[in-house]
Amino acid sequence: MKTLEFPAPPPRAGDEDLRREVRNFLESRLEGRSPLQRAESWNGFDRQFSRELGQRGWLGMTWPRKYGGHERTAFERYVVMEETLAAGAPVAAHWIADRQSGPTILRYGTEAQKEAILPKIAAGECTFCIGMSEPDAGSDLAATRTRAEPQSDGSWRVNGTKLWTTYAHEAHYMILFCRTSGSPADRHKGTSQMLVDMRATPGVTVSPVLDLMGQHHFNEVHFEDAILPAGSLLGTEGEGWAQVMGELAFERSGPERFLSSIQLLIELIGALQGAGGEGGRNAIGRLFAHLVTLRHMSRGVAALLERGDDASVHAAIVKDLGATFEQELPDIARSLIDEEPDLASTSHFASVLAYTTMAAPAFSLRGGTREILRGIIARQLGVR
Amino acid sequence: MDEISAIVSDTARRLLRGLAEAAGTWEDMPESAWTAGWQAIEDSGLLLALLPDEDGGLGLPLSEGLGLVRIAGSHHGPWPVVDTMLARRFAAENGQDVAAGPAAGGPSEMAPHQRDIAALARACQMAGALEAVLEMTTAYVGERHQFGRPLARFQAIQHSLAVLAGEVAAACAAADFACQRIAAEGHDPILAIGIARARIGEAVSRGTAIAHQLHGAIGYAREHRLHRYTTAMWRWRDEFGTQAWWTRRVGMAVIAEGSDGFWSSTVAA
Repeated sequence: MKTLEFPAPPPRAGDEDLRREVRNFLESRLEGRSPLQRAESWNGFDRQFSRELGQRGWLGMTWPRKYGGHERTAFERYVVMEETLAAGAPVAAHWIADRQSGPTILRYGTEAQKEAILPKIAAGECTFCIGMSEPDAGSDLAATRTRAEPQSDGSWRVNGTKLWTTYAHEAHYMILFCRTSGSPADRHKGTSQMLVDMRATPGVTVSPVLDLMGQHHFNEVHFEDAILPAGSLLGTEGEGWAQVMGELAFERSGPERFLSSIQLLIELIGALQGAGGEGGRNAIGRLFAHLVTLRHMSRGVAALLERGDDASVHAAIVKDLGATFEQELPDIARSLIDEEPDLASTSHFASVLAYTTMAAPAFSLRGGTREILRGIIARQLGVR
Repeated sequence: MDEISAIVSDTARRLLRGLAEAAGTWEDMPESAWTAGWQAIEDSGLLLALLPDEDGGLGLPLSEGLGLVRIAGSHHGPWPVVDTMLARRFAAENGQDVAAGPAAGGPSEMAPHQRDIAALARACQMAGALEAVLEMTTAYVGERHQFGRPLARFQAIQHSLAVLAGEVAAACAAADFACQRIAAEGHDPILAIGIARARIGEAVSRGTAIAHQLHGAIGYAREHRLHRYTTAMWRWRDEFGTQAWWTRRVGMAVIAEGSDGFWSSTVAA
């Protein structure tokens, strides 16, 4: 048994010019965006903003030019991702597409699928949603019941319900994880991924599911005899499980897995200026040590993905540690500053604290629960 | 790491592992065995790993010398290997004769930059010791049976072990980070050492608690080697600056940059 090594990322990846360029753009583009809005992190949605990133060549950065990409390195892409998150930019209109749907299409898609979709993602014109969870298939993804039946003309007839589908109401496409043969008892076998055009598929109904703050990010997506045209299959029929597991490594290791509470940390440091004493210094020192270590590990995962190595266990560790860090922040802030949390407050600390406290429970649920991640880590250690 | 460094590392690992395993219960070790062990370590050249070339050292870059310190942490025995490595480096830096024999009580009379290097060495030792503790604990829960099955079959045990593995991975990453930073230009090496000490100190607290919990009573017995690592780490985490001191030092630097400078400090760290 060997400890999981995180490869050392290059200390400076020759990316400082790019970082300066991105920062300058964000500084002027996001002027006037309140700390509370910035605290929404990757839930903030602004199609025009995504388009502007696309125009600057900051989406689909690592993809081949012939699909609208820019053939830049994983570390250059990382710079853009972390700078936009740290600035609290509204990235939701492109985030899922750029992070995981695009890379999945690039890897498994047909030439026609790649040509039709990737350039639109890179231009910031295309929003994706992820059709994985179902009412009875949450952490137990293999229990998926939604079924796509092949038709004689090559099309697929889909029936079933997906749940917790973030931004389905804004999405152009979904990558649907479903059963194409067998029954839920067959578990991983007989599952596939399908591309669903969310705007042009009759029989698809999207209904909002409000979160505990009353905000609309989640949806239920119901398929009733929805017909997907021939050519909708993504990758290989029956290989859906393996494809999805690869996709999750992209979903679990990025800077969004430890920067969700960053705006609260920024407000806390502001509130501690000239106050706070030993307790404040100790708390900030500890949080900063966690943050810098997580960033080092996350960039190490980027190095693994760049080499084409399997990073699923490394990604699970980053996400588990990252979510714990993000979730600790509200209570640490409360212990140091005497202010009541209040979404409507004019105090930035109070409003951001209220928001982050209410957002935090989701951090260890979305993208794989803490329990699932720890199971993945335990399996790597050979005890499962 | 080039081929020569890999050979040096492998040799050190083999030597120290063999010696640590043969040491048994340290208290019962005959003096002759201790002396023979020390002589083997001395003969290997390992004690010169942090010494510059011109002072008769191995000519390793500091970051690679610290890699050997981490190995010494993984195979921790009753000899003051790391303290002697440090004492010899500092003696040479101070223009003193490099004394033969083990450094009793560790290096003394250090300049501030020497204290920082000693603190980083402790961080590397702790990362190495945590790796050993993870390996030991993983093996134990696979072997020990209760209720008719190995402990490893219980989900509560699996998840505790996963948390331990996460802390060990973070500790190793923090040590790597600091070793990388002291060699790179454009970063504050002191801040990087503080980050490593703060993060690794916390990993020690969580990691040793889990390791003892999963080992049960046997891990608390003197005859078991687990406590050689855990009690050592409980000392190391507060030596050459306590964990709290290093943590506050990082906090002070970050707070001084204010909200506006926070993200730049993160990237520049």
